[in-house]
Amino acid sequence: MDKEVVICRCEEVTRAQIEEAIERGLCTPRDIKQWTRAGMGLCQGCTCRSLICQIVAEKLALEVSEVSPLTFRPPVRHIKLKELAGLGGNDK
Amino acid sequence: MRFAEHPILGTFPRGRKVTVLVDGQEVEAFEGEMIAFALHADGIKTLHWTAKRNEPRGIFCAIGHCTDCMMIVDGVPNVRACITPVREGMRIETQHGRGEWRKQNEKS
Amino acid sequence: MRKVEVAVVGAGPAGLTVASEIANRGGKVLILDENAKPGGQLFKQLHKFFGSSRHLAKERGFKIAQSLVQQAQEAGVEIWFDAIVIGIFEDRVLGVVHKGKLQKLQADRIVLATGASEKALAFPGWTLPGVMGAGAAQTMMNIHGILPGKRILMVGSGNVGLIVSYQLLQAGAKVEAVVEAAPKVGGYQVHADKIRRIGVPIYLSYTVKEAFGDSRVEGAILIQLDENGRPIAGTEREIAVDTVCLAVGLSPMAELTWVAGCQFTYINDLGGQVPLHNEAMATTVPGIYVAGDVAGIGEASSAIEEGRLAGIAIAADLGYLPNSEAEHLKEQTRKELDALRQGPVGGRVGQAKRALLDAHATYIARQAGREVKERAEATWTGSAPEAPRARAEVPSAERRAQGPVAVIECYEEIPCDPCEEACHQGAIFVGEPITSLPHLKAERCNGCGLCIPACPGLAIFVIDESYSEDEATIMLPYEFLPLPHKGMTVKALDLQGQLVGEARVLEVRNPKAYDCTPVIKIAVSKELSMTVRHIALDEPKERSTV
Repeated sequence: MDKEVVICRCEEVTRAQIEEAIERGLCTPRDIKQWTRAGMGLCQGCTCRSLICQIVAEKLALEVSEVSPLTFRPPVRHIKLKELAGLGGNDK
Repeated sequence: MRFAEHPILGTFPRGRKVTVLVDGQEVEAFEGEMIAFALHADGIKTLHWTAKRNEPRGIFCAIGHCTDCMMIVDGVPNVRACITPVREGMRIETQHGRGEWRKQNEKS
Repeated sequence: MRKVEVAVVGAGPAGLTVASEIANRGGKVLILDENAKPGGQLFKQLHKFFGSSRHLAKERGFKIAQSLVQQAQEAGVEIWFDAIVIGIFEDRVLGVVHKGKLQKLQADRIVLATGASEKALAFPGWTLPGVMGAGAAQTMMNIHGILPGKRILMVGSGNVGLIVSYQLLQAGAKVEAVVEAAPKVGGYQVHADKIRRIGVPIYLSYTVKEAFGDSRVEGAILIQLDENGRPIAGTEREIAVDTVCLAVGLSPMAELTWVAGCQFTYINDLGGQVPLHNEAMATTVPGIYVAGDVAGIGEASSAIEEGRLAGIAIAADLGYLPNSEAEHLKEQTRKELDALRQGPVGGRVGQAKRALLDAHATYIARQAGREVKERAEATWTGSAPEAPRARAEVPSAERRAQGPVAVIECYEEIPCDPCEEACHQGAIFVGEPITSLPHLKAERCNGCGLCIPACPGLAIFVIDESYSEDEATIMLPYEFLPLPHKGMTVKALDLQGQLVGEARVLEVRNPKAYDCTPVIKIAVSKELSMTVRHIALDEPKERSTV
């Protein structure tokens, strides 16, 4: 019952799906993200990244500190294309 | 529910009353309130339904990070209702999945 | 591309302080904040802060915020609101979306004071409307005057969980329970006492198993945990709630620090992944500093001191402050930080911070190819906590029979001393270190009760067993609406919120000087004088709504 809990709220990825990815040999949050899309949604993992790390640590009997976390890349916040397009030309 | 008095803050200062449309129904709110909270005060807790599992979502983080509060506002989808203030005449719709752009035929 | 001397990301307590420190010495500072208003989380904090009476103690969080904002404005700090920093690039270039456009700013120094984000706890039903972060509940009620729910389950008994529970009660909600997975309360005992005596049960070694309802929370199931933290089947209990607040911890909001290229380490007691920094708050990227919760979860008072530290360091670095003076000021600030990082809650943070400095020093040494010593070059080791004084003793029955006397129910080492300053009779002594338990010189106490509203923990009561043959009076703090009035009969509750008798309201004191902590004097049967610690009105009126 626990396994059907949604872990990545944005992409609706369940604990079962994440555990299945780990069982397939995808052992880092990054690999799991690429396989399941967990952490790729609109919030970019802000809610689920630590939950994914905890699940990996549990399944692989590691300390959470030993699990390499999901990284960040710019833009770290939502940005509209028109805001991006406003750049250039008269650069102040 | 909005409370009038608070033991530490006294009488809660509120902006002027505005009327917004929520899925076609008129809802009263106060200027300065965020959409999600104004709806919550009116008893509306579901703000969007998820794309895959069609599950209801509402206020979760309330600071614009989790994106659970996305609604279609004045025809524009994926607007985070917890950080967007209400405005007189605003058209707010419960979003389903990733939302759809509405035709821009009714400018506010 | 605009050039700025110092760019500060975040207008919370740390960011405002670092900006003021630099601007007051002649530096040009621009603060960028993604919110519409400054102050970070401080404006949501309605309670009186602990700390030194020389500093911020006894002030309510939102008032501290107002004063920090004013200071920054007076110092000539420029602040952009709704300014979203989307990345930090080479040569200290920031990408900022402001007024609908992406701009680039090139800064000589950058301070990242981006604060913290709330951790999550996943369980069946956690995505239902009605499950929200404790911070969300605070925003709704303290900023917008909207009740998050009528019947609340609070998950987590750290200071956030306890304080937000208290605030929910003040807003008119009913907190049905607080659950805590650990076998003991996470936050300060005085915060726990404040809600227990109102009747909120704190279930230790319990967690939430499930939230349920038809498209919104209608109830939750709690379950007990064994000594290994595993749920014990058969111990489930269902409670009817419409809101589940998650107060399960904070972690640094470190996206920008990460993309800027700073090195990190994992320290659980600081919230998880934290950026390495030295004793002047400088990260591993030249010219980039951190301060406040992003540098390790702490309290607003330490965020302010870290902002001060970073501000002094940067001001000296840019030539606005002679180095010798800077060293002296930094040393003073570190002492303040050490004083705050003592006691059962602060002490753990202090230790964790020392580990962080060690990790930073190790990293720097390794980069330089130097051999790593056991306990590296960190010069800031912090002072070891002194042994606590004798426990604040309860005034003897003999003394209580002589006349009114204060009973200080503060049994934990909290860095806090406003009670000492509040007493005009010199009857309360805290001294140094500031975490010492308050000591009452009962013979000097005249029972005036000025200490009651001064205590941020609301842990002081004045008992008078000489009132009459059968009755004693108790003066207690009462921060709720509606206030009782003189002559009313009210319910008398003990420290666990259990009904133990009745009380007559003799007096309600609520002068401005008490800063919204009214003091109620009640008469109770004499044998209850050391038991009654809260009152409940017989027929609680419905709160007026808008």
